[in-house]
Amino acid sequence: MKATKLFVASIVFSMSATAFAAGAHDGGHGHSSASGEPGKASEASRTITVEMYDNYYEPESINVKPGETVRFVVGNKGNLVHEFNIGTPGMHEAHQAEMMMMVEHGVIQGGKLHHDMMNMDMGNGHSMKHDDPNSVLLEPGQSQEVVWKFSDKGNIEFACNVPGHYQAGMYGDVNFE
Amino acid sequence: MNIRLGAVLFGLLMPALGLAAEYDLTVDRVQIDSGDFVKEGIGYNGASPGPVMRFKEGEEVKINVTNNLDETTSIHWHGLILPFDQDGVPGISFPGIKPGETFTYEFPIQQAGTFWFHSHSGFQEPDGAYGAIVIEPEGREPFRYDREYVVQLTDKHPHSGDRIMRNLKMMPDYYNREQQTVGEFFSDASKDGLMNTIQSRMAWGDMRMMQADVEDLQGFTGLINGKGPEQNWTGLFEPGERIRLRFINSSAMTYFDIRIPGLDMTVVQADGNNVQPVSVDEFRIGVAESYDVIVRPKDEQAYTIFAESMGRSGYARATLAPEQGMEAAVPQLREPARLTMADMGGMPGMDHGSMAGMDHASMEGMDHSNMEGMDHSNMKGMDHSGMKGMDHGSMAMNQGAASDPFYAKGSGLMPKAANGGKFLSYSDLKAQDPLYEEREPTREIELRLTGNMERYTWSINGVKYEDADPIRLKYGERVRFKFVNETMMTHPMHLHGMWSILDVGAGQWNPIKHTVSVNPGTTVYVETEVDAPGQWAFHCHLSYHAAAGMFRKVIIEGGPDSNQAKAEVVTEEGGEA
Amino acid sequence: MSYRLPLTLSCLLSVALLPVAVHAQDMIVDTTERKQPLTTWGIQFEEFEYRYSDDDEELAAWNADFFYGTDDFKVRWLTKGEYAIEEQAYEELENQLVGQVPISKFFDAKAGVRFDTPEGPDRTYAVLGVAGLAPQWFEIDANLYVSNEGETSAELDAEYELLLTNYWIVAATLDATVAFSEDREIGVGKGLVSTETGVRLSYDLIDRAFSPYVGVVHERKYGDTADLAETGGGSTEDWFAVIGARIAF
Repeated sequence: MKATKLFVASIVFSMSATAFAAGAHDGGHGHSSASGEPGKASEASRTITVEMYDNYYEPESINVKPGETVRFVVGNKGNLVHEFNIGTPGMHEAHQAEMMMMVEHGVIQGGKLHHDMMNMDMGNGHSMKHDDPNSVLLEPGQSQEVVWKFSDKGNIEFACNVPGHYQAGMYGDVNFE
Repeated sequence: MNIRLGAVLFGLLMPALGLAAEYDLTVDRVQIDSGDFVKEGIGYNGASPGPVMRFKEGEEVKINVTNNLDETTSIHWHGLILPFDQDGVPGISFPGIKPGETFTYEFPIQQAGTFWFHSHSGFQEPDGAYGAIVIEPEGREPFRYDREYVVQLTDKHPHSGDRIMRNLKMMPDYYNREQQTVGEFFSDASKDGLMNTIQSRMAWGDMRMMQADVEDLQGFTGLINGKGPEQNWTGLFEPGERIRLRFINSSAMTYFDIRIPGLDMTVVQADGNNVQPVSVDEFRIGVAESYDVIVRPKDEQAYTIFAESMGRSGYARATLAPEQGMEAAVPQLREPARLTMADMGGMPGMDHGSMAGMDHASMEGMDHSNMEGMDHSNMKGMDHSGMKGMDHGSMAMNQGAASDPFYAKGSGLMPKAANGGKFLSYSDLKAQDPLYEEREPTREIELRLTGNMERYTWSINGVKYEDADPIRLKYGERVRFKFVNETMMTHPMHLHGMWSILDVGAGQWNPIKHTVSVNPGTTVYVETEVDAPGQWAFHCHLSYHAAAGMFRKVIIEGGPDSNQAKAEVVTEEGGEA
Repeated sequence: MSYRLPLTLSCLLSVALLPVAVHAQDMIVDTTERKQPLTTWGIQFEEFEYRYSDDDEELAAWNADFFYGTDDFKVRWLTKGEYAIEEQAYEELENQLVGQVPISKFFDAKAGVRFDTPEGPDRTYAVLGVAGLAPQWFEIDANLYVSNEGETSAELDAEYELLLTNYWIVAATLDATVAFSEDREIGVGKGLVSTETGVRLSYDLIDRAFSPYVGVVHERKYGDTADLAETGGGSTEDWFAVIGARIAF
C-alpha cells in the first residue's frame, strides 16, 4: 500500500518540491497539460532559437498554429540561471512557488545550479529535480532543446519562473494563428 | 584655459551630435501646500519637488543653476558618478552658488537608473529643495514594463529646518509624541507583569534612554510627489499593465515602510543599480535610498500606495487607479515602534549576555519558533550536499519568519510585513550586473557611529565634523568600511562619488548602493573601489544628524594620471554650508 | 604659445579629457558654516504664573532661562522672581549670568555671578554649580553660592516629569536652599533655609512652545530662617494655587 502510494506520488510529483506549496495548480504536472504535450523531434515543423538574457527572452513572442510541433533550441546568454517553461499563466504561478523553494534550499544560487542538491530528499519521495519536458533550467552558457506540440488555442506563455524573473517581465506570448 | 577653449568649441557641437543636453534650473522661494498646512519653502523652477531631470546614459549634460534666493545654495546629484567639483557640496566640491549667481554644472552621464538631486546648503533640502533624476539606459533593461512613475517621498514639517535643528538641540524629544506614558505602563504591566515592567522602566531610566527614541522628527505630513495624503497623488494604469514605480526617499529624517495592499511588488533596482528581481509584500526605504519596483495590477480598481513611517508616527499615501478620483482604503497606522535592549547592544560597556534576557516587557508576542531560522545569506560556503532529509519543521526561512540579519536579534525595529508576507531585507539584494571584479580589500577602516541624544550631538568615532581630520584614501585601493553603530538610532550612511558595495554575503553579487542603512546595535560592512579622484563628502543622511556633526570629508590621494590630477589644497573663500 | 596644438588635442579628446582636465581643480578647504561649531540659542520659561496663597496673597512668579552658545560653551542668563502684586514689590528677584561647559555625558558645570535685587538689601554672589540629567530622569541643578559679604549657601533644584499622555504632563519640582552661614539682613538663618515644592499639570497646547498649567506650590522656611521670618511678622509656610504657562522658544 505504502509502496504504491510512494510510486504514484513520485510519478505525479516528480517535479514538485513539496505538495503543499503548489498552491493554484492549473492542470497539474505531468506530461500532458493545457498547453500541449511533448513532441517528437521528427515531427517538428520548424526550429526556433530562444536566447535567454538577464532578464528577458529573445524573441519576446512567437506565432504557432494549433497542433504544430516546434523544436526550441534554448540558450542561456545571461549571467544568471534561467528557465524556459511553456505553460499557462496559472501553471507559471504555481511553478513559481516551487522555484522559490529551490532558491530557499540553495539549489539555485545566482548563476549556479546545485544539481547534487536537487536530489535532496524533501520527504515523501519528493525531490527538486527539474525534469519536466515542457521546460529547461539552464546555467549561463548552457543550451538545451525542448520539443513541444502545441494543443489547440489557449492562453499560453513561455516564461522563466526563477523567483522575480516573471514579474520583471521574463515571459513571452505564444500567439496562435 | 586653452584646453577649456577647445572643450567649449567641441561642446558647442555636441548637442547637434545628440551627445549633449542643456538644462536650466532656478532655485526659488516657493509655497508648499501639504494639504495640512501651507508653508514657504525652497523649490526648483518654481515648485517643490523640482522637475524630474531626464538624462540619457552617455550624454554630456550642462545644467545652468540660477540662485534666486538671498542665501548661498548648491545642488548635489545624489548617486551620480561625476568629477568631484561637479558634486555640489559647498566647502568640499566648490564654494557654493551665491545669491543671484548662475553656476553651470557639466559632467558626463556614466550610468542609468533612478537617482535624485537636492540642495547641500543649510537645511534647504528639508525646506523643499529636492527633485528626481531618471536616466535612460543605453541598452535594454533587464526588466519590462508598460509605464513608469516617480514616487518621491518626503516628510514635510510645519517648522523650517533651522527651527527644527534649534528645537532638537534645546530639547531632543521636542518632536517625540510617541513617548511611553502612565497609560502604557499599566498596559505593559497587565501584559508582562508589574515587576517586569518596573524593572524594564528602571533599566532604561538608568541609561537615560527612551525605548520610544525611534523618530527624532514627528508631526510631519508625508508627501508623495509633493502631495499630502489628502491631496492623493494618483498614477493611472490600465489593468494588466506592468508599472515601474521609482520610489525615492527624499525625506530629512524619516524611514518609510511601503506596501500596496493587494499588489505584490518585484524589486528590480536599488539605489539606481539593477538587482536580481525579488518579489516582496513590503519594503523599508531608508532616507536617501531608492527602490524601483514593478507591479502588475490586474483588476479595474484603485490601489493605495501606503508609506508608513518606521516609528509609526506618520504616513504618506498615493493611489494607483484606472481613473482619476478613485481611492482605495487607507490602512491604519500600526502601534508605535519600541526599541529593545537588543538595539542597545552597540553601546560601549553594555553586557549583552545579561541584558538580552531581561527585557521581558518589550518581548511582545515574540514567536520563538521562528527565532532559530536558518539564514542562508550569511552561510558562506556551507556544504549542502551532506544534508540528507532536512527537517522542514525547523526551517523558518519562508515568508513570515521575522529575522532580518541586518537588525540586532530581537530588535524592536525588526520589520514585519503588515499582511504577514515577505518583507525585503538587505540580504535579498543581489547585484544584477556587478560593476567591479571581486577582490580582497586593501585595508579596513572602522567607523563607529556615535552620538549623545541628550545633547543632540552626532559624530563618527566620537568626533564631530568640525573637529575631525579628513579620511584619506588612496586612488586604486579597495577599502572595506566597518560601520559599528554605537547608538540606538538607524543611520543611512552616504558616501559621495563612489559606490558602496554592501556585504550581504553574496561575494561578487553583493549589491551596489550609494546609501547604506546601519541599524542600532549592528555592524555593517561596505566595500568601495576608490576610483574617483578629488575630495568627497561622507555623512549620515539624516539632515539634523549631519548638521550636528555626523559628517566627514574624504580626500582621495592620487589619481589615474598623477600629474594632471595632483591635488593642490588651497584656501578659498567659503560661503554658507 | 600657439593655440593649434591644444585646440586639436581638445577637439579629438574632449570627451575623454573633459572630466580629467576639470580634475586639475584645486581641492578647497572647508570654510563654510558646517566646519564651524553649531551655535544655538533658546528661551525657556519653566514657570510663568500667577500665585494665590492661602493668606490671600497674590504673586506673579517666573523662572526663566536664556542660553546662547555651542556644545562646548554656553552663556546662560537665568532669571527668577516673585512679585507681590498688592505691595508692588519684588519679594524675590534673582538674575544669574553663567558660563556652562559639558563635564560628562549628562552633566554640565557652570560658573558665574548672581545678582539678588529684591525689596530690601541687594546681594551679589559667585556661582559654581552642576546641571544635568540624573538616572531615572531627574533634572538636577545644584549650585554653591558665595556672597560679596562672604556668606556661603547651596541650592538644589530637582524636577521630574510624568507623562499622563504625550500632551498632558505632570511636573514635580523641589527647590531646597541650605545656608552655611547666616545672613540676618536678608532673613537667612544657618542650616536648611527653605524648600519650595510644586506640582503642576500642563498641557502642550502649541508644540512645546506654549503649555498652560495649573498647580499647587508649597513654600516653607525652616529653623533659624523660620524664626527670623516670624519675628519680622511674615509667614513660615505658604500654600499657593498657581496658574500659568511653560514657554519654550
